[in-house]
Amino acid sequence: MDSFDLVVIGAGPGGYVAALRAAQLGMSVACVEKEKMLGGTCLRVGCIPSKALLESSEHFETARDGLKEHGVKVAGVTLDLPAMMKRKDRVVRTLTTGIDGLFRKNKVARVEGTARIAGPGSVVVTTAKGEETIAGKHVLIATGSRPAGLPGVAIDGDRIGTSTEALSFSDVPARLVVIGAGYIGLELGSVWRRLGSKVTVLEYLDRILPGMDAELAAEAMKVLGKQGLSFTLSARVTGARLDGAEVVVEIEGKDPVRADRVLVAVGRSPSTEGLGLDAVSIATDGRGRIEVDEHFQTSAPGFFAIGDVIRGPMLAHKAEEEAIACVEWLATGYGHVNYDAIPGVCYTDPEAAAVGKTEEELVAAGTPFRKGRFPFLANGRARTLGRTEGFVKVLAHEKTDRILGIHILGPRAGEMIAEAVAALEFGATAEDLARTCHAHPTLPEALKEAALAVAGRALHV
Amino acid sequence: MTSPDVLVIGAGPGGYVAAIRAAQLGKSVTVVEKGEIGGVCLNVGCIPSKAIITASALVSRMRQADRYGISVTGVAVDMAKLVAWKDSVVKRLTGGIGTLFGKHTIRVVAGTARFTGPGKVAVKTAAGEEAFSPGATIVATGSRPVEIPGFSFDGERILSSTDALALSAVPKRLLVIGGGYIGLELGIALHGLGSEVTVVELTDSILPGTDPELSAVVHRTLKKKKVRVLLGAKALGWKETPGGLSVEVETKKGREEIACDKVLLTVGRRPNSEGLGLDLAGLPVGPGGFIAIDAHCRTGAEGVFAIGDVAGQPMLAHKASREGIIAAEVIAGRPSARDWAAIPAVIFTDPEIASVGLTEAEAAAKGIETVTGKFPFGANGRALTLDAGEGFAKVVAEKGSGVVLGVHLVGPEAAELVSEGALAVEMGATLEDLALTIHPHPTLPETIMEAAEAALGHAIHIYTGK
Repeated sequence: MDSFDLVVIGAGPGGYVAALRAAQLGMSVACVEKEKMLGGTCLRVGCIPSKALLESSEHFETARDGLKEHGVKVAGVTLDLPAMMKRKDRVVRTLTTGIDGLFRKNKVARVEGTARIAGPGSVVVTTAKGEETIAGKHVLIATGSRPAGLPGVAIDGDRIGTSTEALSFSDVPARLVVIGAGYIGLELGSVWRRLGSKVTVLEYLDRILPGMDAELAAEAMKVLGKQGLSFTLSARVTGARLDGAEVVVEIEGKDPVRADRVLVAVGRSPSTEGLGLDAVSIATDGRGRIEVDEHFQTSAPGFFAIGDVIRGPMLAHKAEEEAIACVEWLATGYGHVNYDAIPGVCYTDPEAAAVGKTEEELVAAGTPFRKGRFPFLANGRARTLGRTEGFVKVLAHEKTDRILGIHILGPRAGEMIAEAVAALEFGATAEDLARTCHAHPTLPEALKEAALAVAGRALHV
Repeated sequence: MTSPDVLVIGAGPGGYVAAIRAAQLGKSVTVVEKGEIGGVCLNVGCIPSKAIITASALVSRMRQADRYGISVTGVAVDMAKLVAWKDSVVKRLTGGIGTLFGKHTIRVVAGTARFTGPGKVAVKTAAGEEAFSPGATIVATGSRPVEIPGFSFDGERILSSTDALALSAVPKRLLVIGGGYIGLELGIALHGLGSEVTVVELTDSILPGTDPELSAVVHRTLKKKKVRVLLGAKALGWKETPGGLSVEVETKKGREEIACDKVLLTVGRRPNSEGLGLDLAGLPVGPGGFIAIDAHCRTGAEGVFAIGDVAGQPMLAHKASREGIIAAEVIAGRPSARDWAAIPAVIFTDPEIASVGLTEAEAAAKGIETVTGKFPFGANGRALTLDAGEGFAKVVAEKGSGVVLGVHLVGPEAAELVSEGALAVEMGATLEDLALTIHPHPTLPETIMEAAEAALGHAIHIYTGK
């Protein structure tokens, strides 16, 4: 029986980062992954392939509609969907095989198979060759999550599918219904709209992008609506059934919607099925998430858990950060995650990105705050890119001026939010941000101006 | 005689920002501008050049659209449309400043200003001359392109950057003299629009003053684009030929005649300090034509401030704007000073370069021992989804303390990424601060985090050894 300092179950962004960091810190590490490709949902069927398709589809839309104004002419534009998918697959392959390479260099033992906890410090892996038991001084569960279902909607992996299917449609559906207006639904809905689908987004709540700042979400809905995404809010989907080549989606109190394909994007559930949590009495909460303490220890000694399978936002970078904190704590006794500064990004066009508290959260908590807002319309770089939708909003404490939240809807918001996270991490005031020299002409000047606007002294509005 | 609290000479990014900030602080403000509001930056600099770069990048992207699974045929440039769009961008931004001036009740006088004595300024306008005795004067007259022996701007064959931004047709063959950022930004943009481009640079490297490790990446892409770059080469003169122009260049290998249709001369800029009557104001002009200023943008003359390009290097719009704010605040009695830790610099080449704080060489020259971490965009997921894996992020920190001294980038969107580096330097961040700040995935700034980790010896997505 092979024995390791650390056995990691799952090679997604939480698991593989934990494995690499543990190896860097001198531990012997095994990483169990049931898929052939490393990288988990994020790299195989999540963040990375969706961003590849978002980029390609954006170029397609630009080629079709966005050139004339800039003085660029084209004679013909046609979509080669198989080639677009091939490019996406190539990007995924480059990144996932890159992790294989890193495992080799860092001497992480990769075990291909399905893991099941057999007892304290013991994991049984079902591989192609049979069963193999490996022992770990520490076992880290990083099994991630899978798309959640919806009662009455039977996912058949074809007409009615999840994000996984929507990343690989073999043709452009004439009509696509997206159930759920979270970031996955909006990103993939945008991809297929750009490629020619008529997309209807059904959302149970009375707003899109639940969890994000309401003002930002409202503006995003306006812009995305103008692009052609059609929204039905407060729509409780009660069922979806096949009717010949069509799918009929039933909505409580509303007319049913007919579509060629349906994307169910109503959230994700933690993946713990068949993991054998009971074998060592690992406790889960009411939502099936593994309970952990601040050092990611589960209720079973020697077992740890990180990422989507525990509490908190289901985000790749949150999983990575927990991976590093958990492993460093094991190795050094130090390591923690600041949950107040975890950014979120939605890669629609314009992108939406946020870190810290929303305006609603501050109001609910009774925190006195000031708000600065700056539109990209008044930003020179945005003008020269021809992309002027959206704004930056900075929320700072009324008395101390400390930044509490930053919300961006605009071009490359996802790249800009990093500065905002750093500002939050440094405990920066709005004035600190305002007095940092920002290069001209760049988009982050809008962030500076929004920080200035907190004190009522923006220059360009 | 009119006596506003503040008279600003020049309405570029230094002057107009100073005027708005002074008005915010309750001062009555008059701005004198002989050209267009917005100065070089908005009218014939940063802004129109970026608009052309955007269009040029679109053309390049469309020519390579099959990479993304899109088949595009018949890509062509409609220069008149492009110019109209560029002009509309400029007009919107300059018009915006006009509106802001109106809201702040800032008076604009179209004319040429000159000092007539200490604290006295006369402005020659279309209607005649107006005399001012302002409470304070801010000189923000900016800079202009310089010429070299044998080459004088004629707007037709020998072009300044201003002329190049106003081209109504894409020249077939363009010779760029001066491989600095202006020459390369415009050269690359025009290449994308269809010009055959040659760059002649006097020194041994393109983008002199830039970290050579960064400029090397741009040099490589220039080669890939088949832009010919002659280093250590001096343009001696030119003559007209039946087919266009012929420029004589002295290279290390000898003299060469290079045929072209237009010459773009971008060998630097000179402060606009002549003809201002500075001597009458009691203001000596320093070396290089710059007006010397102190930490509060004060000049040697009572009540006279200077900001921006005319007050010294670096000649960057955002440095001018910052000094404009400082001058206005000092005039209003606020504590304000040129005490920044770092000014970022951005270059919109392909790929972009952006840099803030000290390079390794600059730190070494100051006797500071450094540690450096580098992370390639080729190992960044977002960059690969964008098909832009070229370049890297580099973080330079003080050895021992780990205090971040500089962040240097060459790669996709580098200009948008560097502000995080500026904030880090400004706030005295350490490598660990950058490494432990959660960067969202998948985004380009993850490279900055990983470069910081690399400097600490433990980047995740590249193997740096044990």
